[in-house]
Amino acid sequence: MSHASHPESGGSTYLWLAAVPFSLFLLLTWGLSRHALPWQLDIPWIPSLGLSLAFRVDGFSAQMLALITGIGTWVFVYASGYLAHEPRRGRLFVVLILFMLAMVGAVTADNLILLFLFWELTSITSFLLVGFNHEPAEARAASRQALLVTMGGGLAMLGGLVLLGQMAGTWTLSGIVAAGPTLANDPRLPYALVLVLLGAFTKSAQFPFHFWLPNAMSAPTPVSAYLHSATMVKLGIYLMARLDPAFNDLLFWEVMLIGSGTVTAVWAAVLALRERDLKRILARSTVSALGTMTLLIGLPSAGAGLAVVAFMFAHALYKAPLFMVAGNIDHATGTRNIDQLLGLRRAMPWTAAAAVLAGLSMAGLPLSFGFVAKDIIAVAKAESELFTLVSYATVLVNAVAIAVAGVAAVRVFWGPLELPRNQVHEVSWRMLLPPLAIVFLGMEFEFFPALADPLLLAAARSIAPGLGEVSLSAAYDLEALLSATGITALIGLLFFLAWDRMHEALHTLNRFDRYGPAALYDRLLHGLARIAAWHTRHLQHGRVSGYLQLTLAALLSMGMFGWLHTDSRLELTWDWPDHAWAWAVACLLLVAGAAAAATLRTRIAVLMASGLVGYGSAVLFLFAGAPDLALTQFAVETVLVVVAASVLPHYGTAPLQQEPLRASSGVLAAAAGIGFSAAGAFEQSAGEWRTRRVVRSDQPGRGPWPQCG
Amino acid sequence: MTPRSTLLMQSARPLYWMMLAAALWILLRGHNEPGGGFIGGLLAVAGSSLLAIILGIPAALRLQPLAPLPLAMVGVGLAVLSGLAGALHGLPFLTHLWTGIGLSTVMLFDLGVFFAVWGALTGYVYALVDAGETAP
Repeated sequence: MSHASHPESGGSTYLWLAAVPFSLFLLLTWGLSRHALPWQLDIPWIPSLGLSLAFRVDGFSAQMLALITGIGTWVFVYASGYLAHEPRRGRLFVVLILFMLAMVGAVTADNLILLFLFWELTSITSFLLVGFNHEPAEARAASRQALLVTMGGGLAMLGGLVLLGQMAGTWTLSGIVAAGPTLANDPRLPYALVLVLLGAFTKSAQFPFHFWLPNAMSAPTPVSAYLHSATMVKLGIYLMARLDPAFNDLLFWEVMLIGSGTVTAVWAAVLALRERDLKRILARSTVSALGTMTLLIGLPSAGAGLAVVAFMFAHALYKAPLFMVAGNIDHATGTRNIDQLLGLRRAMPWTAAAAVLAGLSMAGLPLSFGFVAKDIIAVAKAESELFTLVSYATVLVNAVAIAVAGVAAVRVFWGPLELPRNQVHEVSWRMLLPPLAIVFLGMEFEFFPALADPLLLAAARSIAPGLGEVSLSAAYDLEALLSATGITALIGLLFFLAWDRMHEALHTLNRFDRYGPAALYDRLLHGLARIAAWHTRHLQHGRVSGYLQLTLAALLSMGMFGWLHTDSRLELTWDWPDHAWAWAVACLLLVAGAAAAATLRTRIAVLMASGLVGYGSAVLFLFAGAPDLALTQFAVETVLVVVAASVLPHYGTAPLQQEPLRASSGVLAAAAGIGFSAAGAFEQSAGEWRTRRVVRSDQPGRGPWPQCG
Repeated sequence: MTPRSTLLMQSARPLYWMMLAAALWILLRGHNEPGGGFIGGLLAVAGSSLLAIILGIPAALRLQPLAPLPLAMVGVGLAVLSGLAGALHGLPFLTHLWTGIGLSTVMLFDLGVFFAVWGALTGYVYALVDAGETAP
């Protein structure tokens, strides 16, 4: 981003817009102090479809709301500084507000379809925000990727939610959680869960869908801090945690979550070491953290619920400021490459301070809320008997987290300044206050746990009902913890010091990139374009006769299929109709019109001949007991022929070029004629019992035709 | 515009009014016998097309109560309105009500269909005729 090169553009910086999330935040705290959770609201919408505007706010929703509105407030302040030179900033703020409202809806919706609607709305706003700087081709590709991956998952999730709704007989999320254990033996359950998890995994960038999140870093930094670290990517986690009380006991659920969570956490941590771009490093570590959260949800113990909640809270409180720090550095120096960033502490002291404090929390060192969260996670893991492999994996993940914190908070600020001193400057207060404020908020929760305790415990209880009386601050045993963190911290320090060497070593991984899921995504996208091109060439060729042949062939083969799969036989009887002479006239008109249309060469004559076919069928309708239809047919045919005749001469009077008559076309036409006649006869004999049924029931209606007008 | 025969030019307007009268008759007749808003609307379209082809689109527009799109909108609006009457009485939307002497909300609905067909199809026809006039 080259903000420095933009001339100062006039107009509002939209700082006042921060009042929108802030007033929502105040409303939330006021409500929490006055009214007991859960709050419910249910407005019927389309009752026959089970659709209602059902909202439900319990502890977990309240925590999400606090993050969305609280961090949202600071993100809006930050964005007003970050985008002060961006001429199109008004558009970004509109989408940002829309996104925030969609998030509020998604975490409060209790109706499954409503949840889906808000869920997809966050995907759409994310797409618009990632592609905000739409000029670079990579940004457009990244936003399309984010959209296709999360929306595709969202569609799968819709299928899963509908299945769940049908199995449980309720369309509310709370109802499904309540019915959860009774669903365990339903054979459809695995399909439903796989589909729902597809939605959650794509949204929260779990392996193998982890690749879209780092690419989404082409979004402006306030967006990355808000959507792609603090709130939207946690929606998948939110849904899994929501459903966890229902399916916690299923081995299938546990294996899926622990397996995918562990793989994501480890693989994303390894990939973080390969990056040189500060924002992409942070994005990889976000994916790793999301993996840890998925793993924690999969753990069977009730303490894991508390761990998820605390970690989610802590992660938002340190990752959002770290993104803002990266944005400040980008803004001040014009680069995010850590090779060029060294010794910024003197030029950017306040940014450095925010970075160090956020880094402490990310590393889980004392004096930070991350410390508390890390401890609760350790307790939760100790309570559940983890596979040894998973335990080792989490040590690695934590060590990389410490190393990433070191890179983002220490490495870029210490050492000699690489860039010329006059190129680097501290940023405006609007970009300094938000990260500092959020970081101090995190520290406050460490020193005064009573502030966050009630909210976090209420949140944990709503996703882990078995949780007993615990206090966040009292949970940890300092000595055991220090020895456990000590080892991780040591390994993390080693990773930090050896960052560049490991980066070099991991270059060997590059050759496997073309087998990875990101490459698969590219191949699928190219394949789709090729299929579409082939399809257009062969099916949308523009020749009307070709369309007709294809349609007839498809109808015939469907009819044949249906006929071969029924055991009823066609009994042909022959009765002369009432006005046989009229039928004969109609058929004569039809045949004459068709023959003339096929053989004549003059345009106007062909038009008249086709009109004759229309009149013939109208006569047929008239005597077959559908005078309404006959009238309509006459009127339509007349208007059509008159209008076409008036227009036709203007397109030239050259005779039509006739396509060569082919035997295959003739066979197809004859087969279609015989087939439809047979179908009509069959329909008539089958229609007799249906007519009897209609007469028996008291339904009005004069015949099989719909009444016109 | 290409020259037209005098006979055609002179008979266009009387023919139009006769067709419109027939259209209205079919619309009202549809209440109890074959006919109705759709067919009546089509007949009105035929009349308007005749005018547009012979005397030009502006002449056809002058003798139509509204321009095609507003006419179609009024028609759809009337049909929706006729359905609301039932909804106001607590019945499902589009449940129709009779006043006992043959007047009903169905009439309103039929009139809506009439206008919608007349408006929408003349919109297409005028566009087609216009394209034909200006085609190379």
